[in-house]
Amino acid sequence: MEFKKYGDSALLINFEQVITRGINAEVLALSAAIQAAKWEGVRFVIPAYCSLTVGYDNGSIGYADLCEKIMLIEQELTVEKLSINTRKLSIPVCYEPPYSIDHDELVEVLGMPFDEIIHIHTSTVFHMYMMGFLPGFAYMGKWPEGFSVPRKSIPRANVPALSVGLAGQQTGIYPVESPGGWQIIGQTPIPVFIPHNNEPFLFMPGDEVRFYSISSNLFQQIKEGITEGCFNYEEIYG
Amino acid sequence: MRLHFQKPGMFTTIQDAGRLGYQDFGVPIGGALDRAAMQLANLLVGNAVFEPVLEITLLGPSIQVEGSGQIAITGAHLSPMLNGLPFPMNATVQIANGDFIEFGIAVHGCRAYLSVGGEWRVERWLGSTSPLPSMREALLPNNTIRKGASLKVNTRPFPNTLKIEVETQMKMNFQVMQGPEFDLFAPDVIGHFFSNKFKVSAAANRMGVRLEDSLPGPLPNLEMISSGIVPGTVQVTPSGQVIVLLADAQTTGGYPRIANIISADLDALAQLKPGDTVGFSL
Repeated sequence: MEFKKYGDSALLINFEQVITRGINAEVLALSAAIQAAKWEGVRFVIPAYCSLTVGYDNGSIGYADLCEKIMLIEQELTVEKLSINTRKLSIPVCYEPPYSIDHDELVEVLGMPFDEIIHIHTSTVFHMYMMGFLPGFAYMGKWPEGFSVPRKSIPRANVPALSVGLAGQQTGIYPVESPGGWQIIGQTPIPVFIPHNNEPFLFMPGDEVRFYSISSNLFQQIKEGITEGCFNYEEIYG
Repeated sequence: MRLHFQKPGMFTTIQDAGRLGYQDFGVPIGGALDRAAMQLANLLVGNAVFEPVLEITLLGPSIQVEGSGQIAITGAHLSPMLNGLPFPMNATVQIANGDFIEFGIAVHGCRAYLSVGGEWRVERWLGSTSPLPSMREALLPNNTIRKGASLKVNTRPFPNTLKIEVETQMKMNFQVMQGPEFDLFAPDVIGHFFSNKFKVSAAANRMGVRLEDSLPGPLPNLEMISSGIVPGTVQVTPSGQVIVLLADAQTTGGYPRIANIISADLDALAQLKPGDTVGFSL
């Protein structure tokens, strides 16, 4: 771990700069431990793939003291604490038109039939590494080595809400309509950002996520079920 | 008191201290960009300093007032008028039923703050009135002022009237600390960053301020892994463009961060407008 000053009221902890579940688990565990400690002066944390940003009120706590406190709790982190989150989510995705907006471009850049791309997407167990870009946008990885998806050369002005995108070795779901450069493989009917819920975000860092393919008929049914409030959210856990 | 917006202005939002503690879910901090101006506006009308205020950008709204109370306007001088006469800046102003508030040319600064003494009846999300940004339009809470909107404040009597002298000198030189990737930049590039002035481009909003003049190469040639962003971060794109990130910026980003503007200088960033020139010093 390397501590860096990040302006006068934040610090950055860089772990080994690689995207692996092991390193990310250390980031998430340290982030959770800092939040649980509720130290006076700590204002926010931003866990990322292999770094942790900690924002603090420099009138309440100094950089050196905060670093020392963090190093102390880091030493107490055990293997059990590294895997606090054991949630498993199954997310339905419709890979049919009109939702698979980048069908043709994906077939071209990956050089394989779309069915095979869907197969990789539905058979990979993804790990939710971090949130960023938009409220509730979850960065999930990783695709098998050798299947890196280039971003669109010109970002799309309007990516529909709940579009499922691919970029590099990552997959993610746009929580709201937004501009974006990820290649769109399909769409989920499950809202990932529900502003007025007690817990507004579907995903949590550390989640294990699998995708499964649904028809456009089932997509509509689930969507209507959600609108009418009779969709059983338990279906996506486990 | 009710404020009826006959014109919304260029970009007028209801801001407060923002929301802390949700940055791990990708939610930016938000809140008034010039926090000192927000606090002064609230002080002048007897409010707690982090009560909501209107943040008014360059071209102000036209407001028909229903009911009476106290209003103060601070921050940028955007030629505020009350019933056709100059509205005194940085002072408690008694407002009567039927009064009309409008704005004219931007004399200095970019963002003005309008407070109303009392309790604001406005939507909050995760404790803040600050609308979530997206690149196209603000998301919830629905606190971006539109034409025809009305805003209700339960006013209370505030016996004092105050006037504060505020220095109107614009800050053009910003003090920074070395950013996390400072060491990745070549000495020549760092020299250029500190010795040159940069022009604020038209791409300036609550998420960040893009500067026109690019840094010369060679620039760090690295694919950075996305990492947390804090307000005041100065990042450099692969083409050498310098971007200063503000309170509505995305919570994570992947460009090398050459510098961070010190907290004391963040408010002044809010007052930069396209065409201004800025410099940085360590």
